[in-house]
Amino acid sequence: MALEDYRRDIEGCSRCSSCKWVPYNQIKSARFAKNCPSIYRHNFHSYSGSGRMIIGLSLLEGRIELDETVADIIFRCQLCGACDAACKTYRDDIDLTEVLLELRAHCVESGAMLVEHMALVDALKREGNTLGEPKAGRGDWAAGLDVKDVNSDRCQVLFHAGCRFSYDPDARDVSRGHVHLLRSAGVDLGIAGREESCCGGRAYELGFRGEAANYADDVLNRVRSSGASTLVTACADCFAAFRYVYPRMGRELPVEVLHVSQYIERLLAQGSLRLRGEVPLSVTYHDPCHLGRKGEPFTGTWEGDKLERPMRLKRSGRKGVYDAPRNVLAAVPGLELVEMERIREYAWCCGAGGGVLEAYDDFASSTTAERVAEALATGAEALVTACPWCLRVFKDSVEETSSDLAVYDLAELALLSAGVTAPAGV
Amino acid sequence: MRVVMSVISDKAYSDLEEAVGAENVSRHPAVLDSYAYQPFENHESLPWCTRPVAVVMPAGTEEVQEVVRVCNRHGLRHKALSTGWGVWCGPTAEGVVQVDLRRMNRIIDIDEKNMYAVIEPYVCGAELQAEAMKVGLNTHIIGAGPNCSPLASATSMYGVGHDCIYMSTSPRNVLGMEWVQPTGEVLRFGTLGSGKGWFCGDGPGPSLRGTMRGYNGAMGGMGVFTKVALKLFNWPGPPLVKSTGTVVDLMSEVPENVGIYMCYFRDRRKFADAFYDVGEAEIGYSALKCAMPAFMMVLTPHFFSKMKETRNLSRLLAETMGHMFLLGLVGISKEDLEHQERVLRAIVDEHQGFMLDQAHVPSIRSNFMMNAIRATMPALAFRIGGSFSTALGRNDGLDSQLDWGETIADIKRGYAAQGKCIDDMGENPYFVLYENNLYAHCEVIYPYDPRNEEHVEAGNAMTMDFIIAAIEKCMEPGYGSLAPARKILSPLTSRYNFWQKKFSEAFDPDQASDKGYYTDETDFDFSTIDPERVEALKKLVEERTWTELGPPE
Repeated sequence: MALEDYRRDIEGCSRCSSCKWVPYNQIKSARFAKNCPSIYRHNFHSYSGSGRMIIGLSLLEGRIELDETVADIIFRCQLCGACDAACKTYRDDIDLTEVLLELRAHCVESGAMLVEHMALVDALKREGNTLGEPKAGRGDWAAGLDVKDVNSDRCQVLFHAGCRFSYDPDARDVSRGHVHLLRSAGVDLGIAGREESCCGGRAYELGFRGEAANYADDVLNRVRSSGASTLVTACADCFAAFRYVYPRMGRELPVEVLHVSQYIERLLAQGSLRLRGEVPLSVTYHDPCHLGRKGEPFTGTWEGDKLERPMRLKRSGRKGVYDAPRNVLAAVPGLELVEMERIREYAWCCGAGGGVLEAYDDFASSTTAERVAEALATGAEALVTACPWCLRVFKDSVEETSSDLAVYDLAELALLSAGVTAPAGV
Repeated sequence: MRVVMSVISDKAYSDLEEAVGAENVSRHPAVLDSYAYQPFENHESLPWCTRPVAVVMPAGTEEVQEVVRVCNRHGLRHKALSTGWGVWCGPTAEGVVQVDLRRMNRIIDIDEKNMYAVIEPYVCGAELQAEAMKVGLNTHIIGAGPNCSPLASATSMYGVGHDCIYMSTSPRNVLGMEWVQPTGEVLRFGTLGSGKGWFCGDGPGPSLRGTMRGYNGAMGGMGVFTKVALKLFNWPGPPLVKSTGTVVDLMSEVPENVGIYMCYFRDRRKFADAFYDVGEAEIGYSALKCAMPAFMMVLTPHFFSKMKETRNLSRLLAETMGHMFLLGLVGISKEDLEHQERVLRAIVDEHQGFMLDQAHVPSIRSNFMMNAIRATMPALAFRIGGSFSTALGRNDGLDSQLDWGETIADIKRGYAAQGKCIDDMGENPYFVLYENNLYAHCEVIYPYDPRNEEHVEAGNAMTMDFIIAAIEKCMEPGYGSLAPARKILSPLTSRYNFWQKKFSEAFDPDQASDKGYYTDETDFDFSTIDPERVEALKKLVEERTWTELGPPE
C-alpha cells in the first residue's frame, strides 16, 4: 500500500475533530475529556489525527514538501489509536491509523527519518532487540527457572517475553512471575531464550516495513518449529504485532495467539489456577493501547468503497482485549477495581508507544503524567497494567513525582493472590 | 486602505511570537494547511479554503488583544475559530491570520445558585454539560453535536439544538460577554460591563446582544469573543448518566424520571396540531421532528442501503413514518414524569396518533436518550455517504417549516433519482422547536459523497434550486451566511446586508476582521447550472427586489 491508496480515507475527513475527544457519550468531565496526547500537548490542528491526514493530502497534492518539520509532526504521535477509535465511533470509511502508518512509511522511503529511530533500528539489526542490549543476554531473565527451551524441546505453549520483559531490570522479575504462574497451573510451557528476537512491531510502527517483515518471518519460523499450539505473550506490543500486524503483512501465525491475561483468565475458568489469597488493595486498571484498541484481530482487507465495507472488517477498537484483565482482577479476593474515566477503546495512552519514548522523552513523560493524574483522581492505591512499556513509564513517572501510587503488572497481583513466588532471578 | 498581504512579513511574525510565545505561532505550510482544509459545507473549492498566512494560539484575553493589534499594525486581517468545524471557520481571503482559541479552554465558573456558567471558547458542549450535571444543571447543546463550542454558537453562529424546546437557542442564553473588538479594545456588556458580574446580558444601558451577532452570527467577522456567560437549566437527573459502550454498542441507565417517546401521526395536520399542543402544555426537554428512514440511515447504513432496493418496503416506511416526532421528557421526580407522560398521551390520543415509550426498547433507548440530552447522533449522519449538506437552516413558524421541508424533499428526490446525491428516502430534516413550539428551525439534510464528482458538482445546482424555491414561496431561505447567496438574497429581504455593513463599519472601521461570512458579497458560480434555472432566478429577483420605498407590490 502507499499513501495514495488512502486518498479516499483522507478526503473523507470532515474536520469535525471527533478524533480529539473521548467518544461523546463517554465524556464524564472536562478534565479528562480529551483523548489524543499529541494535540493535547502541541495544540496546532496538524498534531491531531485529522491534521495528520490533511498533511497526507497536502503531500499528495504537492501543496507542501516533506521537510524536517513535517516529519517531526508525523512522528510526534504515539500511534496509540485513540483518534482512530473515536473517529470510527461515527465513521465507517476512514482508517485513520492506517493513514498515520502510511505517512511514516512514506517518510522512511523518502529518507525523512529521525536520528533516534534510525539508532533504534540499527540496534534492532545488530542485537535483535529495541533496547540495544546484547543479543547474548536475551534469555538471561529466565535463568534458574528450569523452563523448556523450544530450540531443543517441544512444548504446547510458547511464551514470548518480548524485548522489554527480557532486558528491563524492573520488568524481568515480572516476566519470571508470568512463567512461574503459568507453570504452577500445569501448563506445558517453553521459551526461545537467547534465540528469541524482537517481534518487529515497533519497526513497523516507525515505518521500517522491511525490517518488520524480517522479524515476522523469524518469529513465524520459530513458532512453526516449536510444535506449540498456542503462543502466549505478556507484552501488549508483541501481542498486537502477532494478532494484527503479522496477518496484515501476510504472515499469520499458525497458532492461537493469546495475551497472558487471556491465558490466566482461561486457567481460572478451567480451575487450573486458583487465586485464594486476599489482596486488600484498591486498584485502577490501565488498558494498554496495543492490548486494547490495537489488539484487535486482523479480519481481512476490503478493496472496494469503504462505505460498503462489512462491519466485521472495520477496525473499531471495540474488539480488543478489555475484559480478560478485568476478570483476572475480579478473581483476586479483596481487590477492588476503581475505573478511570478513560478506559477500554477510549483509554488515554501511557506515552511510550510509536517511537515517542525514544525520540521525544519530554512528550512521553507528559503523556504518562496525565495518565497517572487520572489514576490518582480515582483514589486508588495502585495502578495496574498489562504491558511492560506502560509499566516502565508509569514506574518512572511515579518515582519522579514521589507519588504514593503503586504500579503493578497484572500478573504480579495474580501471583500474590495465588501464593506462589517465582525463584529469584540471577 | 488595507493592502492585502499573501504572506506574513518577518517583523509581523516576530511580533506575533512576542505576543503569545514562539511555540504558539506557526507559518509552516503544513500547519497552515491543517486550517485551510475545511470541507464541510464548502461547495466552492472543496476541500480547501484560503490558506492563512499564520496561525496563532493566544492563551487569554490580553494575548488576543495583542494579536489583533499586531494584525492591525501590519495590515493583516484576523479570523478566530474555537472548535473549528465548517468552512465558515477558515479564512476567506489572502492575508488572514487564523486565531486558534484552543488554549483558551477553561470553565471559569459554574454558578449553581444563579444557574449560569462562564466559559472560554475552546470548552466543548459535552465538557460543560458533564460539569453542569454534577450540580444538577444542564446546558444547551447545539445540533451539530457536543464537540462544538457553546461560546461559538452563542456569539457567532446559529445555535439551535434538540433541547431548544426547554433551553431555547444559543443566542438567547447569553448573560454576559467579553469581546475583543477588531480594534483590539475589550468590550464587556450587560451587567459585566458595569462591574456587576455575569448575571444579565442586557444592561444597564442598551443591550448589544443583537449587535454582537445579528441573526446568523458574524462567524468571525466582528473581532474575537473571549468569554461568555451562558444560562444553565435544571437537570433533575443523575450527576452522571452511567453508560457502557460508545454509540452502536451504547447501553445507558435510563433514570426513572427520564422518558423518550416516539409519537406517530396519520397526516401532517394531525402531526402539527399535536406538536402545537405539546408546546402549549409546556412539556418536553428535547424535541425533534424525525423520520424513521433517517434513524435507520445513521444507525444501520448498510441495511438502509439494501432496504432502499426493496421498493415497496421503503415506500411504506417513508410514507407511514414521516409524520413523527421524538420527545424527551424529564420530570423533577418520577411522579412528575408520569404526569407529563399522561399529558403527552392525551395529546397523542386527541390527534389520533400513537406513541411508543422508547424506555422499553433496550436496543435503541440508550442512543435515543443520550441523543436527546447530548446530541450524540448527528455525527452519524456522515456514515451513509461520507458527508452531508443541508438546505441551510431557516427559522419560522411550525407550519411554514413543514411546507419548507416538503418543498426541499421534492427537489432532493429529483437529484437523488439522477444519482447526484444519496437517496435518503425523504425529507430528513433537522427540525427542532422553540418558543412553545410556535417557532421551528428546519434544516433539510442531503447526504452525499465528497469523493464523488457528480455529487460535488451538483451541490451548487441544488443550492440554486433551494434558493429559487424559497423565493417562489416567499420563504426565508436560510442562506444568509454564504457570500454568493447573500448578494442574490439581500435585495429581496429588506436589504439586510446594507444594515449589517453599517454595524460592521461602526465596530470595525478598518475592516480588520475577515468578513467573508458576515457581510461580503460575491458572484454565484452559475457555470454548472442549467441556463433556464439561471433565467428563472433572474426573473424572480427582478420582480421581487425591494426599492427604496419598501417591498415590491
